[in-house]
Amino acid sequence: MKLTIDELKNIRFFDNYNDEQLKIFIGISSIKEFRVKDILFEQYDELSDVYILLVGCLSLGISLAKEKRIRLGTLEEGQLFSWSAVFSPHISTAWVMATCPTKVLAIDAKKLNLEFEKDCEFGFKTMSKIAQTISHRLSDTRFQLMNQLTL
Amino acid sequence: MLNDKNIYKPIRAKLTDVIDESQLIKTFVLVPEDKFSFKTGQFIELSVDGIGEAPFTPSSSPLVTEKLEITVMKTGYVTEYMHMLKPGVYMGIRGPYGRGYPIESFFGKEVLILGGGCGLAPIRSLLYALEGIKDKLVKVILCYGSKTPADCIYKPLFDRLNSTEKFEAYRTVDKADENWNGSVGVATTLLNKIKINIENSVAVVCGPPIMMKFGTIRLLELGYKDDQIYLSMEKNMSCGLGKCGHCMMGEFFVCKDGPVFTYDEIKHNPEIWK
Repeated sequence: MKLTIDELKNIRFFDNYNDEQLKIFIGISSIKEFRVKDILFEQYDELSDVYILLVGCLSLGISLAKEKRIRLGTLEEGQLFSWSAVFSPHISTAWVMATCPTKVLAIDAKKLNLEFEKDCEFGFKTMSKIAQTISHRLSDTRFQLMNQLTL
Repeated sequence: MLNDKNIYKPIRAKLTDVIDESQLIKTFVLVPEDKFSFKTGQFIELSVDGIGEAPFTPSSSPLVTEKLEITVMKTGYVTEYMHMLKPGVYMGIRGPYGRGYPIESFFGKEVLILGGGCGLAPIRSLLYALEGIKDKLVKVILCYGSKTPADCIYKPLFDRLNSTEKFEAYRTVDKADENWNGSVGVATTLLNKIKINIENSVAVVCGPPIMMKFGTIRLLELGYKDDQIYLSMEKNMSCGLGKCGHCMMGEFFVCKDGPVFTYDEIKHNPEIWK
């Protein structure tokens, strides 16, 4: 199952891409569905896809032990996650679990990196968006940490 | 409405109800002996006989003059005593003081409100005021974060706002419990959820200093200009009249020149987030 260009245009992450660039995403992505309590990936898993949440609800967290999951946050529709798939060593820094029936767009990270090499402007734009996602996640985590430290 | 005989003399107000909002937060419903009006965002000095006085921003509608609601977090000597008060006693009110929200300048715009913790108290008053002028606004979005679900005050407010035309309300918690199905994360994570036309909007930030700092930074990253962001500053307001200097922040007396400032006005002040 594939999304159309018009459907991609409704997702915030794809703002400011032209139709040709959106076609690249369509060519290297697929839609994946998850049920409640499905684990999309565990912390320290090797990742091959970068995801964008289309519909549903996902929790993100870290594990202290196999049985001890700490939920740090939830993801919003249109948000990118699993960014570790794009960067070496491609190891996830958190786990992600579906908390309701969920659909995600799974973009093949290896193919995405190859597209970056073919089209540097596309690569720079996409890496900038991914960096912004990571920056926001880091800032939010610092904010969360400050809240806990000042309890 | 200052007492014209003695600017420091409070107006008597009867405590008619005390509402438990959370473990540490209560709302006090007061009926002043004289009609009492304020502009949303202004603050008052509330006193308890023989105990002391502290500044609070009303959480009730500025359109209602017969009664006043003050939401108080138990944080110190005066507020701890207030939390023990029962309906029937009299308290003192001085004010209102300072500069509130310039809501007339919000006409024709989208209003984004980012709040955290006890900051929802003044925000509730602002929301009441905005509901009164909703025909003149494009939309109002509230993004609010509390530490835990139990710390979230005014829970019915969110459902009511979400069923009010032009209003959207979202909330999140830093730490969820097993019964919580909503968003988890700090208040700024809710900004990933909303759709807003930043060029035609204003943002209001109100909450603890940490939240105000991170919230303002994120709004600037999103593209808000310095003069589009309104901050409600909570400093050590004491006299309320710009005389005692307790609330000085650089060149400003927060009690007189604020407590509402644009970020543009105070961004260079090193004490802004203290």
